[in-house]
Amino acid sequence: MTRVTLNGEKVDVEMTSDEFEKVKELLNREPTITELGGFDVMWSEHCSYKSSRPKLKLFEDAEANYDYVLAGPGEDAGVIDIGDGYALAFRIESHNHPSAIEPYHGAATGIGGIIRDVLCMGVRPIALLDPLRFGRLQGNPHSQWLFKYVVKGIADYGNCTGIPTIGGEVEFDDSFDNNCIVNVACIGLGTIEDFKHAPSRAYNPGDYVILMGGSTGRDGIHGVTFASRTLTEMSEADRPAVQIGDPFTKKMIIEATLEAIKTGYVRGLKDLGGGGLTCATSELTGDGNTGADLDLRKVFTGEPGMTSYEIMLSESQERMAFIVKPEGLETVLNVFKKYEVAHAVIGKTDDSKVLKISDGDKLAVNIPSKALSESPVFKRAEKRPEYLDTLLSQKTPEPPSSLKEIIEKLIASENICSKEWVYRQYDHEVGVRSVVKCGDGDSGVLRIIGTNKYIAASVGVNSKHCYLDPYEGAKGGLVEICGNIIANGAKPMAMVNCCNFGNPEIPESFWYFSKAVEGMNDFCRTLRIPIVGGNVSFYNEDDVSKTAIKATPQIMIVGLIEGVENIVTLPFKESGNEILIIGDTEAELGGSEYHAVIHALEGGIPPKVDEEKIKARWNLLFELYQKKLIRANHDINKGGFIITIAEMCFKNKLGADIDISSYNINNLRDDELLFSETVGRFVIETSPKDYDKILDIAEKYSVSIRKLGVLTNKPQINISGLNQGINLNVNNMKELYDSTIPNLMEI
Amino acid sequence: MTIKIAVIQFPGANCDLDAVHVLNNVIGVDTSLVWHNHFKEADFDGVVLPGGFSFGDYLRAGIIAAHSPALDEARIMLKDGRPIIGICNGFQILTEAEFLPGALLQNETLKFVCKWINIKVLNNKTAFTQKMKKDDVLAIPIAHGEGRYYTDNLKELEENEQIVFKYSTESGNYKAEANPNGSLENIAGICNLEQNCIGLMPHPERASETILSPQGTTHGQLFFESMIEFIKRRIK
Repeated sequence: MTRVTLNGEKVDVEMTSDEFEKVKELLNREPTITELGGFDVMWSEHCSYKSSRPKLKLFEDAEANYDYVLAGPGEDAGVIDIGDGYALAFRIESHNHPSAIEPYHGAATGIGGIIRDVLCMGVRPIALLDPLRFGRLQGNPHSQWLFKYVVKGIADYGNCTGIPTIGGEVEFDDSFDNNCIVNVACIGLGTIEDFKHAPSRAYNPGDYVILMGGSTGRDGIHGVTFASRTLTEMSEADRPAVQIGDPFTKKMIIEATLEAIKTGYVRGLKDLGGGGLTCATSELTGDGNTGADLDLRKVFTGEPGMTSYEIMLSESQERMAFIVKPEGLETVLNVFKKYEVAHAVIGKTDDSKVLKISDGDKLAVNIPSKALSESPVFKRAEKRPEYLDTLLSQKTPEPPSSLKEIIEKLIASENICSKEWVYRQYDHEVGVRSVVKCGDGDSGVLRIIGTNKYIAASVGVNSKHCYLDPYEGAKGGLVEICGNIIANGAKPMAMVNCCNFGNPEIPESFWYFSKAVEGMNDFCRTLRIPIVGGNVSFYNEDDVSKTAIKATPQIMIVGLIEGVENIVTLPFKESGNEILIIGDTEAELGGSEYHAVIHALEGGIPPKVDEEKIKARWNLLFELYQKKLIRANHDINKGGFIITIAEMCFKNKLGADIDISSYNINNLRDDELLFSETVGRFVIETSPKDYDKILDIAEKYSVSIRKLGVLTNKPQINISGLNQGINLNVNNMKELYDSTIPNLMEI
Repeated sequence: MTIKIAVIQFPGANCDLDAVHVLNNVIGVDTSLVWHNHFKEADFDGVVLPGGFSFGDYLRAGIIAAHSPALDEARIMLKDGRPIIGICNGFQILTEAEFLPGALLQNETLKFVCKWINIKVLNNKTAFTQKMKKDDVLAIPIAHGEGRYYTDNLKELEENEQIVFKYSTESGNYKAEANPNGSLENIAGICNLEQNCIGLMPHPERASETILSPQGTTHGQLFFESMIEFIKRRIK
């Protein structure tokens, strides 16, 4: 907080005094209080990306380098051309700070915001995915409270708007005790024509500016500056900065917006999110190279007596700004009337390149329309934390109990166990597109009705791995999330990310962000995956305990499957078939669930990524798919490959006889082999008659692929070839897998 | 004469397009999406009240939609025997509008639940079950927060054969664990005395295509095929 002198009065602002001087310089005068509020919001970290921008410039220009990318970073959502005249839009965003204070409305309005971002690309929102982080549930009522109400907030909002929640992931870790992570992602589908009708720019002078949707109230004023601070005990007093969602109004806005776009009279479209009317009008005119003359008294407010400052900075939910051709005004307004959504023509665009906003006969705002987006940029210092050397050198103690007991503990652990308690509360089928449903695959697969195309989407990252090595951890996240959709038969098309980190003013916290961005950049350039959007959430740091969250660069991948026959699913299908593993296991127990759950260790050597090996494995899988040689596929994730095999046995109640002796080519300790979380491995089911053929193809790609065993009708997993035999009862494992979260949450 | 079906679009309905898709593209019957204020019964042979959150479920699920002019139109259809089906929120609307007896309360678990379950056919003589066999077990999904059926007149419903579906296990047992929401007597769907109007919590439109179904079944089609059959016989 900075105290500045404005027209002789003392005012508290979030910006620095240097930034205040820059505002005066830009305007050549002192700003009005409303203008100052606008600059304060638009130059906040959340809106301006002033710390992250220099680093994000590393990313390849997606629009320039990939012909199917229609919109890249900087737009409200990334958009790709998926053929047959269809465009797919998607974006991911954080809503961490509001959710930490008020989990239900914080999460709900997060969903509301991300839906608007996708909707304003002119397409229908068709799916939601939500990666979440909380403190551990066991013995932590605060984490349980956050978890319960975040899930309910997402469910109530998503279910009511009729957008299925098709995926997500959740991790529980002490570092999120006081800073939970609530990231929300949305996918939209429309025709390329629809997308072209909805640019987020007001590029034509003389068009009408219409505000539509919910009324403007005093809720959420300065929400974004609140999100650009660390949370303190005082934050409970910030509750008025959290907005209240209204999914019914949102549903009406979705239908009215899509119908309005179909009229052909809409020339521009922008949602009102962080920064409210200030952000929307300045970006519409600034990006469109126009100006506008708006009258604040036309805005319909939720309560009387609101000042121009409050109206311009309100972050009330469920609002959209439309730029409409003059000749189509009546037609568009009639659409809004049909859906009974409130609306007001608040002014017109012009060629002045100045944003003039009057409040009665006073000019509340009179600034160049691009001024608000010309925020300063900070080059932040970065420094590798000293504690990492100690962490990385931690050694794995001997297993404290039998391997069987360890596996049973792992499968019941919070980060590995079934998340059915969560996804049962989400309507994941509305829209009749969900082909691979929650729990049935590594990713969610949706059909595109009227075509033979299917899209797969997955989201996540491993925060424990990133904590030890953000560069390799971010790459590992990409391997894992691409692996999820590849396991279902899809080819990765594009990526969006949501970077959740600590305070960027602390060099150690900024180092994590910097290395994660470098990791994403290197991987995506090598594997040719366009980065079409991103969001950065800093200040996930607790002022009381002085600790940051474990680095969480969330990654969402969307992929395409051509033809229903090419969809692959997770469950093992038939006894007698063989279990093959793609990729060797390295001694990489650092950040593993085995270390955390069994040894209470956070350190060790985390997984590393070799892009060339990863590429070869993916290409091998694509050829095996094409030749129809794979019956089931599941990528290996937390807990190691025995957990993966158990999960594949559950649905059809199959068992497996496994002999590991020929797989341990690196001569690892039993626990290293079983529980390392080496990324980029897959377990597949194949027919015994195809074994030689598969080996031949694998040799062509120089991929290591080995037979682990054979599927049986008896729900029993027998493992030999280690220093001790392991016999696991599949039904018992399923029971352990299913009961953890209900036992913790259903009191 | 071609058969015409209407799917009513209440504000906040969200399974409306799903029903239109299945009726038009899977069943192959001429179906229109009709905005609730524009609905005129004379144009249609049958009507679907789709799932969703009409009017945001504000006040109580279904009660505001029950006062829509669309329900006055539908009441004319109810009286002259044309088929009416309420799915999920549509069922809630039909009980609130008193087309059907009883009420849908909040699930016993107090949580929304989305999953595939089984229902058993008790009455295969209604407008929407004629193509089913009595005691058939259907695979079909549910997705609701307020689906716990309750009535004070259970005996009457039983005597009049108004209980059309009950939640059951795959083998057809009415065990407590087969009941996903705590409904009285596992009741999943009921009909009016004349049997031309039914309401149920499960979603037939989500169970009408192989690709959407975990076991590859298409039991949802039977509802709509029964309706077509019923309309054809009525017209004759």
